[in-house]
Amino acid sequence: MLSSLLCVLVLSAAPTTPLSEPQMVEILKTIDDRQRNSGDYTALAYIEQKERDKDDLLYEAVIYRRDDDDKLMILFTRPKAEAGKGYLRLDKNLFFYDPSVGKWERRTERERIGGTGSQRSDFDESRLAEEYNPTYVGAEKLGAFGVHQLELRAKPGADVTYPVMRLWVDEKTINILKAQELALSGKLMRTTYYPKWNTLFSEDKGKEVYFPQEIRIYDEVEKGNSTLVVMRKVDLKSLESNIFTKAWLESKSR
Amino acid sequence: MARFRIMRLLALRNLLSHKVSSAIVGGIIVFGTFLVVLGTSILDTIDEAMARGITASLAGHLQVYSADAQDDLALFGGGFMGNAEIGTIPDFAVVRKKLEAIDNVEAVIPMGMSLHTDVPASELDLAITRLRQAVATGDPGEIDSLAQQIRDMAADIEEEQNKTRAIARKEEQVRIDERLEILRRVRSEAFWQALSRTPEEELTYLDGKLAPLSLEGEMLWMRNLGTDLDRFAERFDRFELVAGELVPTGRRGLLLAERFCEDQLKNKVARDLDQIFTAVTERGQKIAQDPETKDKARRLPGQYRRVTYDISPEDAALIVERLAPLVGVGKNIEETIKTLLTVTDENLAAHHKAFYEQVAPHIRLYKAKVGDTLTLRSYTKSGYIKSLNVRIWGIYRFKSLEKSDLAGAQNLLDIVSFRELYGIMTKEKQEELSAIRKEVGAAAVNRDDAEAMLFGGGDALETRAQQTDMDDAEIFGADGALAVARAESDGFDPTQVDQGLALNAAVILKDPDRLDETRAQIAAVSKAEGLNLQVVDWQQASGIVGQLIIVIRIVLYVAIFIIFLVALAIINNSMVMATLERIDEIGTMRALGAQRSFVMGVFLLETLILGAFAGLVGAVAGAAVVGLLGHAGIPAPNDIMIFVFSGPRLFPAVGASNVIFALAVIFLVSLASTFYPARIAARISPVVAMQSKE
Repeated sequence: MLSSLLCVLVLSAAPTTPLSEPQMVEILKTIDDRQRNSGDYTALAYIEQKERDKDDLLYEAVIYRRDDDDKLMILFTRPKAEAGKGYLRLDKNLFFYDPSVGKWERRTERERIGGTGSQRSDFDESRLAEEYNPTYVGAEKLGAFGVHQLELRAKPGADVTYPVMRLWVDEKTINILKAQELALSGKLMRTTYYPKWNTLFSEDKGKEVYFPQEIRIYDEVEKGNSTLVVMRKVDLKSLESNIFTKAWLESKSR
Repeated sequence: MARFRIMRLLALRNLLSHKVSSAIVGGIIVFGTFLVVLGTSILDTIDEAMARGITASLAGHLQVYSADAQDDLALFGGGFMGNAEIGTIPDFAVVRKKLEAIDNVEAVIPMGMSLHTDVPASELDLAITRLRQAVATGDPGEIDSLAQQIRDMAADIEEEQNKTRAIARKEEQVRIDERLEILRRVRSEAFWQALSRTPEEELTYLDGKLAPLSLEGEMLWMRNLGTDLDRFAERFDRFELVAGELVPTGRRGLLLAERFCEDQLKNKVARDLDQIFTAVTERGQKIAQDPETKDKARRLPGQYRRVTYDISPEDAALIVERLAPLVGVGKNIEETIKTLLTVTDENLAAHHKAFYEQVAPHIRLYKAKVGDTLTLRSYTKSGYIKSLNVRIWGIYRFKSLEKSDLAGAQNLLDIVSFRELYGIMTKEKQEELSAIRKEVGAAAVNRDDAEAMLFGGGDALETRAQQTDMDDAEIFGADGALAVARAESDGFDPTQVDQGLALNAAVILKDPDRLDETRAQIAAVSKAEGLNLQVVDWQQASGIVGQLIIVIRIVLYVAIFIIFLVALAIINNSMVMATLERIDEIGTMRALGAQRSFVMGVFLLETLILGAFAGLVGAVAGAAVVGLLGHAGIPAPNDIMIFVFSGPRLFPAVGASNVIFALAVIFLVSLASTFYPARIAARISPVVAMQSKE
């Protein structure tokens, strides 16, 4: 809490001064720490994919996270034809389960969740400080907000979706407002906006947990495609110990 | 009559007195006629063979599909290989009823081609999945066997990792050491003892830690033709079942194409060995000389693991013992297989035979076989991913097209399963999605306005949320589990086959000679009944390859045209020369009372006699060569030509029409080429002829 406060105070006091590397790392740690929960995390998410000349794809899904063990599960609940399908992240593996055929498949880090533009990293815990090295690009305006722009490059061996990211961080609240993800060649792949952040007090953590209430993802390769993720409900209560297993996910469909 | 006789004698005398020029012109005519007879005979035979092959295997005589199609129908693959946007026939039953009412229509069969994938899994993933099932069912024998298999695979991966470590940089070595630690743990006795105590923990370790260290499974792409399987087998007489059985009426199922099994499902080592064997025995290539075959043979022994992974310890001992006389004694299974796969021109036949007799029965020779269930997956038209388990009932091929990859690229799927995988957006589904969207009430934000709309107002970025209890009952309902939309069952009401959409339909005619007439009738019925269909013949429907014959015919006609253009110029030139040489003679003839028409007639007759004689020689020669080829057959050099020939060899036959056409062409060319010199000759006056002498 103290480090976050200091971070906010330091950055607010000198908005146009280029940030030093330690300051940037501190920002990333703050962002990560705010979203991390010591206990478990359950969210009800709405995911909507729009593609040019195609019908919209819509899902309702429950996201389960246990940050201490780096575990994640996404379980689709609606529409009814998609109910029971789910993703399970174990260590560095992402598995997909389809109960209609009773099969598990190994998927890659860049898996488009349910065929939408969202990816595993959009729902998983934030590990920016652990996975990336930052450099300062500059201070600028994003709409009505003053922001710092940082460029992040993946650390060697880090298991990340994209090797390069650009972040626009609000000077005052240290929330990410915009992110761009790039391929190693420098090609822009996605632009993501986080217009609203919610906070919720966690008893396990003893302080607030941050989560984006709304994520808007724009595909920069397939122009015109966009994805909206809305976190409709968040619950920080403890989950069953055996929940992050293939057997549990299988048991949740009949 | 006497006049004609004199003309004929004069023409013959002229031909014989100018032997060289007659021989040159005659030779050109012989060659031209020979080419026309040979070329048109071969093309006509190809046309007939293709018509028989394509109409009786996949296309029918005519095909109908939506008039609103964005792409052309290409049954044997165009630029879209099965995913062309050809629209839909929403209600096939109506189309069938209306078209089968036309007197020459024998049958209308629904079709729909689509690309599906089978869920990929590596050998290790498969073994772990089977182990998970064995643990769940408590089968100790299966658990022990799979445990040994997984440990062997881990040992092989460990060997590879150690080799990589030896040449890796320091930072990479650290990561390899982590992998080696995982492999050592999985190979330890302690790990497998723990499996009985904490199975989920150990299985998760295998899934999460060990499986990623092996090669990923290869994605299996399948080009599946959804159709009415009963009527397909009945109406297309090239269809032939080679293994298993037909899909029973009212059951879901797949009939795999034999070529697909050989090219896509067969163990890669067996496939490579087959390719080397075919290159040497059928194409006469030498491993030592042909670079491609040599390279394939060089890489073959290194792939021995693709064989040894499948062999159980008991089978391994048997294989080692039986192969010892061929590969040497004292070798373990790995060395035995490596030696067996080391092939040369000398040992290939023996090693190929030994592989199929001693090794193949103990391995999974094909990734899937009759009786297995494949999980087909597709991106549906509604955007969602749909998976379906479908049983393989049999393996089929098209007679005489057994070796064509093009004709054997598509598997046959029951149309009810095809429709599910095609997955159009239904009204019911749309309403469900609208209800979800309404519940959330999120507004769409255009990409270009996003920053202004989302951040322009300076609204508070942070909001304190309320803790919401999300209990299981709320998510999963009273049953504690979600109701899953599974395929209704393995069977369906057979009337469903006609009740629903198709992408296209094959029309089989009673009398194929009335194709054009029936095509027009179908177009008229479609217009009158509002069926919104377009009709194409089998050649158009088969795509680029089917239309290859048109290209070949154009090339042949252009070649013939050029040859006869040259012949025309040479004949014309030689006759002009002959005219100039014969001015005296023509002048004398004219002075003696010969009419212009007589002179002209002599020249025309001269060329016609030469043309008739040379043309007949050329036609006989062409017919003789066609006869010889018809006896021996022309081998198809590649897959496309197997398809074009509708078999591995083409047996051309000459028809009267080919000879008549060739002679008619020669007649016209002869006349055309002589007309100008004959006119010059006819215009020579006796006075001018005599003056030129002075």
